[in-house]
Amino acid sequence: MNKIIMDDTTGRDTLQPALAIRNLNFWYGSNHALKDISLDFPIHQVTGMIGPSGCGKSTLLRILNRMYDLYPGQRATGEVLFDERNILSPGLDVNVLRSRIGMVFQKPTPFPMSIYDNIAFGVRLHERLSRTEMDQRVEGVLRRVALWNEVKDRLNASAAALSGGQQQRLCIARTIATRPEVILLDEPTSALDPISTARIEELLDELKQEFSIAIVTHNLQQAARCADRVAFFYMGELVEVDTADKMFTAPHAKRTQDYITGRFG
Amino acid sequence: MMASPKSQSIDAGGWQRGGAQAVRRRLVERFVSLLCNLATVIVLFVLFSILWTLVTRGAGGLSLPTFLHSTAAPGSGGGLANAIIGSCEQTGLAALIGTPIGMMAGIYLSEFAQDGRIVSLVRFVSDMLLSVPSILVGLFIYLIFVEPAGHFSGMAGTLALAVLFIPIVVRTTEDMLRLVPRAMREAAYALGAPGWRVILNVCLRSARGGIMTGILLALARISGETAPLLFTSLGNLNWSTSLNAPMASLPVTIYQYAGSAYDDWVQMAWTGALLITVAVLATNILARWWLTRNGSAQQ
Repeated sequence: MNKIIMDDTTGRDTLQPALAIRNLNFWYGSNHALKDISLDFPIHQVTGMIGPSGCGKSTLLRILNRMYDLYPGQRATGEVLFDERNILSPGLDVNVLRSRIGMVFQKPTPFPMSIYDNIAFGVRLHERLSRTEMDQRVEGVLRRVALWNEVKDRLNASAAALSGGQQQRLCIARTIATRPEVILLDEPTSALDPISTARIEELLDELKQEFSIAIVTHNLQQAARCADRVAFFYMGELVEVDTADKMFTAPHAKRTQDYITGRFG
Repeated sequence: MMASPKSQSIDAGGWQRGGAQAVRRRLVERFVSLLCNLATVIVLFVLFSILWTLVTRGAGGLSLPTFLHSTAAPGSGGGLANAIIGSCEQTGLAALIGTPIGMMAGIYLSEFAQDGRIVSLVRFVSDMLLSVPSILVGLFIYLIFVEPAGHFSGMAGTLALAVLFIPIVVRTTEDMLRLVPRAMREAAYALGAPGWRVILNVCLRSARGGIMTGILLALARISGETAPLLFTSLGNLNWSTSLNAPMASLPVTIYQYAGSAYDDWVQMAWTGALLITVAVLATNILARWWLTRNGSAQQ
């Protein structure tokens, strides 16, 4: 396994991060949901975010592609640096941002259209491809998520007929089809059975060769299995961030220790 | 007052647990389900007796001349062709006018409107239109359209039906769009889709079965309306497809014929009633079929 590339003398990541959060604060109305967060998401690594319900980990994920823009009364201050720009700045084209930072949700959400169109939908928003190029793109991403052999004979069938695990892999395929640089996953396996979960986890391991990945999970074993680095959130604060190995064997903070040993949460 | 819960211990009774109270509950349960079944039988009996009466009395007039000839003087034959074409033209046009307006208003209410005074006003007015007595709609169109024009017309009838049609479509469009899971919208936005594409390609597509059903049900509803046509399209004894002239329709023809003293007119009224009922029933069945087909295609 190619685990994390670390500079052993400082314990800090030497690679340039894909995303860098600096002094981020977030409010739902008057509720201060995230407090002064600074966190790096290293390139080509899986960063896991753990913590009890309501700790702000999903909120953080939804800031990274400006999903919170959809709802009035939600406000963020601070900086999230991506490709030399602060993605929180008002002038930014969120549609372009979202094509470069894709997101996969908790429940599989196939669109009410064919398997093929589910993938083509996102691509057509940003690129003009010929029929052959689009066919290749669709086949490519479906192979990538190991779904091609299961669906190649029914690309024009409704995506709703797929099983939950297949639907979620389709959603991942749909997300990588727009060729993002970062993929955000919000508890992507919590609605799936153990076998489907295992397949998605394998997939993540493969996808990080090409993408930088941020995953929110309630499942600590999953974080331990998939993530290179793990960040622990508690009540809107980032308590601790470290490599998965250190986080689960020798956490610094007492609260982290209590959480991963199951004393609360 | 109820007995103190302390009087029963947890493990009391075995299969006799609950004693007389359990027996009473079973009796009440049986009695209530009996009542429900009885109510269902009554409803079905009414429905089928209407259908039976219509079929036995109306089927006699079902012949080719009924569909080919226009209404005529008593005793001289004649059919319902002008009423059938008039009904089709007016309801069809009303649906053509009402569907885009109703759908767009529904989309506005569900997707664009932030909660505010204007929105609650629009929703309130739309809901009120939904329950306005249809004869008032007829009078309204009479005042703003028929009187200025100086004559009754098919267009006026169409407008009156459209006014009845629109709020139903507004309501179903809004309701169906609200049923689209938030996660599905977010997934579309997360791919970088602009709002209008999310609405058009994802939300409307997901809600189309329900919206289509709403449109068909609204069509069924207006195709049986008589009152709004009395002051607007009036009725016409002759064949006429002009929207600028008074126009016949099945409900108005039934209204005029059923009360007449001539046997052949009364017969025609029954036949007309049968035709409307079959058309409405067919539309309803189509709508249901559509809903189940599209409903099961979604997750």
